[in-house]
Amino acid sequence: MRTVMIVMSCVVVTSVAMAQTNVQPAPKAPDGKPDLTGVYQASPRRGGWDAEAPGDEPGVAAQRRPGDVAALTSDPIPFRPEARARAQELLNRRSIDDPASHCIFIASPRITGVGLFPVQIVQTPTQVVILYEYLWTHRVIPIGTKHPDDMSPSFMGDSVGHWEGSTFVVDVVGFKPGGWLTGGLVTSDALHLTERYTRVDRDQLTYEVTLDDPKVLTKPFTQRTTLMLREGARLREYSCPENNMDPAVYEKLLKDPATFQRTPGK
Amino acid sequence: MRWVIALALLTSTATVSAHHSFGVAFDATKTVNLTGTITRIDWTNPHTHVYVDVKDASGKVVNWKLEGYPPNVLERTGWKKDVTIKVGDRITFFGWPARDGTPYAHLREATLASGQKLYFGPPAGTGEGPAVAR
Repeated sequence: MRTVMIVMSCVVVTSVAMAQTNVQPAPKAPDGKPDLTGVYQASPRRGGWDAEAPGDEPGVAAQRRPGDVAALTSDPIPFRPEARARAQELLNRRSIDDPASHCIFIASPRITGVGLFPVQIVQTPTQVVILYEYLWTHRVIPIGTKHPDDMSPSFMGDSVGHWEGSTFVVDVVGFKPGGWLTGGLVTSDALHLTERYTRVDRDQLTYEVTLDDPKVLTKPFTQRTTLMLREGARLREYSCPENNMDPAVYEKLLKDPATFQRTPGK
Repeated sequence: MRWVIALALLTSTATVSAHHSFGVAFDATKTVNLTGTITRIDWTNPHTHVYVDVKDASGKVVNWKLEGYPPNVLERTGWKKDVTIKVGDRITFFGWPARDGTPYAHLREATLASGQKLYFGPPAGTGEGPAVAR
């Protein structure tokens, strides 16, 4: 009886919340699974394309509005001491060594959370394909299979997925060492991601990822991003190496490191 | 309630850097706000660049290189190649200068000859990331 009451309360609360904000339920695929298909943006807001929420003054971000959700949150990164020292060294150099500045692919969760660029998900009964405008790359995620025996290390790793109720869970291994994630975290070949994609309603897809990398972390930790549906948005070509002047800028800066290095804490 | 606060303390809003850190090349503690004539537009990835001739107080012309979003980001916010701005147009730009003191800047807000104001690049600090590894 108590369980029934709790379930009924949840239904009532959910129904009221949906009515108040005009939230529509998550769509279903023909096979009955939740359908993740759509074009999304990492953003705290529902609605149309969020052009990085500029404030009234240039350089000042807009205040968060009622109803906004956290776009990206992270548990503290449990660095091993040597990895923390390395991260600090890289941050002091203002991430001049970041592979992305040389247009090299970056792994999720970093590529998923770049809100300037949309992410498109295409779901079929046998695989989920994720297309990233940023760096113009993609992942093909087979459902219900094992990682291949002939897997070779890659920047974005090898992904296999399965459904756990309404959540699509992706296991990712097989990374090249030296990948960069947020906060100066440089990952190793032992990186293991467990990603959870849940379309909680029509507009909102939550992305939660647990990162484990025993060579650089003392324990696994979790990051979360909210992906919002962007109807009408489409992926446009992003040919990063086309006119990448940054390496030349860096070479010049390195001749006088004092011009760009920073003090820890500032 | 207590656990909600504890959760808030445990988690933090993370920043996600895109192509490169703002702070690598630009100095957010200084600003530039200048008007000039567009001499060249590179509608290219990973950044769009606009070059602008600006006359200083002594009458000397300096060609500024201004960096902004890639074309796909600009086009999603209403910019059109060779329509919104063209070579020869007057433009006023607000942004942050390069650390090395050269006439190179991160362009945030462009004021077109019509008076229309548009964002051309992200705010200062986008992609800067934390100063301390946490």
